[in-house]
Amino acid sequence: MAQDYTEYLAINVLNEQQLVSYRSLSRALKVHSNLAKQMLYEFHRKQNAKKPGSVHATYLITGIRRAQSPAHTNGVHSQEDGDDTVMQSSPPLPSSFAPHHEEEAEEPVAVRSVLLVKEEHLEQAKATFDSVTGIHINSLQANGLSDVQSLTECNRKIVESYASEDPLQAWKQYGTIQNPNVKRRTQRKGPPPPARIAKDADAKMKPLAPTTKPTALEKQASKESKDSQESKPASKPSSAKATPEPSKKPAAVNRQGSDIFKSFAKGKTKPKKEDSQSSAEATAAATEPEDEAMGGFSEEEDDAEDGAADVDEVPKESEGKSKKEREADLQAMMDQEDEIMEDAAEAIPDKTAEEQDEGAIDKPDSQQAEEPAKDTVTMENGRRRGRRRVMKKKTVKDEDGYLVTKEEAAWESFSEDEPPPKKIEAAPAASTNKPAAGKKAAKAGQGNIMSFFSKK
Amino acid sequence: MNGQDPSTDTSLLETPDMSTPHAVLDRTPSAYTPHPTYRLPPGSARHYQNQYADMYFARLAQLKPATLAIAADAFDTFSIADETARRVDRVLDVRQGELCWVVGTCYMEMPLKPNVLDDIGKEHWIAAPPTRVKYDHPSVALEAGEGAHGAHAGGTGGVGTQIMLEDESGRLRLTGSFLRGCLLVTGAIVAVVGTENKDGDFEVLDLRVPDLPRQPQRWEADDGNTALTGKKPGSKKKRPRAGKVAIVSGLGISGDEGDTLTLDLLLEYLLGESTSPADQEDASTISRLIIAGNSLSHASPIPSRQDVITAATKNAAKASGTRKYGYDSAAYNAAPTDRLDQWLASLLPSMPITLLPGAQDPTSTSLPQQPIHAAMFPHSRNYMAPPTATTKDGDGEEVGWFDSQTNPADFTLDGFRFLGTGGQPVDDVYKYIAGEERLEMMEAMLRWRLSAPTAPDTLPCYPFQDEDQFVIKDCPHVFFVGNQPRFETTLIEGPVGQAVRIIAVPRFKETGEVVVVDMETLVPEVVRFEVFD
Repeated sequence: MAQDYTEYLAINVLNEQQLVSYRSLSRALKVHSNLAKQMLYEFHRKQNAKKPGSVHATYLITGIRRAQSPAHTNGVHSQEDGDDTVMQSSPPLPSSFAPHHEEEAEEPVAVRSVLLVKEEHLEQAKATFDSVTGIHINSLQANGLSDVQSLTECNRKIVESYASEDPLQAWKQYGTIQNPNVKRRTQRKGPPPPARIAKDADAKMKPLAPTTKPTALEKQASKESKDSQESKPASKPSSAKATPEPSKKPAAVNRQGSDIFKSFAKGKTKPKKEDSQSSAEATAAATEPEDEAMGGFSEEEDDAEDGAADVDEVPKESEGKSKKEREADLQAMMDQEDEIMEDAAEAIPDKTAEEQDEGAIDKPDSQQAEEPAKDTVTMENGRRRGRRRVMKKKTVKDEDGYLVTKEEAAWESFSEDEPPPKKIEAAPAASTNKPAAGKKAAKAGQGNIMSFFSKK
Repeated sequence: MNGQDPSTDTSLLETPDMSTPHAVLDRTPSAYTPHPTYRLPPGSARHYQNQYADMYFARLAQLKPATLAIAADAFDTFSIADETARRVDRVLDVRQGELCWVVGTCYMEMPLKPNVLDDIGKEHWIAAPPTRVKYDHPSVALEAGEGAHGAHAGGTGGVGTQIMLEDESGRLRLTGSFLRGCLLVTGAIVAVVGTENKDGDFEVLDLRVPDLPRQPQRWEADDGNTALTGKKPGSKKKRPRAGKVAIVSGLGISGDEGDTLTLDLLLEYLLGESTSPADQEDASTISRLIIAGNSLSHASPIPSRQDVITAATKNAAKASGTRKYGYDSAAYNAAPTDRLDQWLASLLPSMPITLLPGAQDPTSTSLPQQPIHAAMFPHSRNYMAPPTATTKDGDGEEVGWFDSQTNPADFTLDGFRFLGTGGQPVDDVYKYIAGEERLEMMEAMLRWRLSAPTAPDTLPCYPFQDEDQFVIKDCPHVFFVGNQPRFETTLIEGPVGQAVRIIAVPRFKETGEVVVVDMETLVPEVVRFEVFD
């Protein structure tokens, strides 16, 4: 231990030219402050014996100072003035008041001084004291201290470096006055963990489903249930759905995403599906392919989704044809998607949905580099494998100033026999406010939406 | 040279001896109970639509009995030329030529008092009015030829200050050379004896004030509580010897770092880390720190005149469309609050702290200032009482280790009643009264039984409806006022044996002084932190 402090001080004071105060030393070596002061003294003495002037010190003197000239201190103790600060005009108090102050002798008030002084002024400073009750070294430095104010650095560093220490435990070793009665409460935990948010989302999802209004649940269901016609109508419903979506806070959207995670007991994440479904379903009529698809993934759906799926079916039907038309277009434009090959009709809407989705995602892509790669989907023989995006919702402002809620992807591997989540993608991608009136409109909407995709 | 003074403890200028353990001291405990006297009801229970006149009526109603008692004592036998003074109920009932005495509220009309109508006429911005040193007009003082007695030149009938007595019935102008000897401010309840002269003014021959209220015994509040809660009152309970309390004010933490060295010195001293073992033992007897206002130097939500001017010129230069009255959140500098919070958090593990807000602190500007919110102190928050659904009573409210208090603050510490302010009431009274004697003003405030006599006239305050909370009901044992230019102290006595220690706490930023009061004897001493030049 004796070696430690010499080493430590040699390194910090001499080599690194830092300012070391007794507090920093006590924290670094975990010793009592008084011991640290002695260490500083010893080091100072030895070093200056070897080479005079190598180490400079500041001292802290406590005691009773001689009365200063008025210019120095404006707080000269009252024993000097007595009570004769009753100056020119202070009116005497009326007789009803207590005895006049002028008659009272002001009792002298003890003034203790704590003075920080550089070593070159030490003798001078001591001379100003009537009596000195204590003196010790406050800090050491290799060169002279130009600005005494720089000593605040020491304390600041202590606060920074030792912030992790619990004062009630650690400070005892430093010699701080302990207080057995101190009351401290534990810090409350931060924001509630995300699990709860997911739960809320779940809860939200369920009640949402029964309503015929476009909701996330509905989207879920619709996505699950129908692949085929969903893309085009998906765009519309997704846009329609998107309207209420952004109106719910993005947090809700996020919740829906995580919700969907939870709802897939089989570990298949279908956020995309959710979204596309939600978007798809709205007013779109169910189509026959829907029915097929329905059977296909009923197992995977939530109960809520199943319930909603029925509702979805009807809308899907009406949009089936428009979807087919658009599918062809989309197919050409889309490079990669999670679509099911088995059902071309399904696939195309999927693609559409995905396009839209991806297009929408492209924009946020630039903002968040969270989608490193594209979905890779291997051929399905009734089974799709590969990596897939898991959608998280993100709200951005699109070129027209509309708030677009998009699904952002997180990648995961999956292997499942289910229709690709094209609807899901369609939904978020198309979650703009523009109503797609009909097939043409949908097409036009798609055309508009396609403009989102700058790179594909 | 170390042997010069035998009392010098030079043990720390020695080779370290690893074997001898250094003592770790324990701090004296502090028995502390705050009173909710100055707490305002939270949130929507506060009503600012009330008239301020109600406050004056309530104040008069509360203090009239005490004043009547004292005045009756003095004036019932008051006689001049065989005429005995007669008590008159209402101010307007005085009759010309008749010797009578009456109780009312003092109102002072002074030329330089801030006048809201003038302000509205002249300017359009919301800012604090320009600070005046004194409200009396300097030219009046010269006319009166009495040096700084301008404030009371009203008696000569000259332009300027007029003193009036007011109650529910009306106002009566006071004159007379006797007034020159009195400390009077707007809002003080006084009893005057005299007669009405030809001009219709009341010539004052003598004056009485309510004087100090009843002073509770030491430990009375705590014993009362134990009795109420049904615990066995330990009437002979041996209470440990009380320690000392340190009072500091005007820390004045601003963003610039140039002046925080003395703050660090203070922190180390209070923690018991700096100074020699003997001084450290002394420091360990300090059981609590009271910070009496102005911990931050520029954090009041109301912008000062200068701020508004700067903001206005900046805006004009940028020609921006929006004109921001008051607070520009982009200009918020969190450094001062952070520094204060770190400082407090470094001290709290060792010592409990009571924090009073001041004129420059981030809380309400009208009295009574409410406690600075815990949100300002992310690190020190752990030591504060947890937030509860508070009632105004505060019954069962936990007292935090770090207690953020109102301004003015009323609490019981080690059995003694403390009353303290951050300085605004005394500074305002100072503007009314000629002369520099702040201790006298503080004493006068106690004798008027008002902790903020000039509210609401020139001191912004909450419009109390039923009761004026600034009336002092129990005489404190210690009355401290922060942010004064110098340290001053005195002991005053009351008519029935009360004794109050008055302490004017200087601004730490300017003087580096901390007042340490020994709780057994109530004698203050000063510890001054300096850096040698």
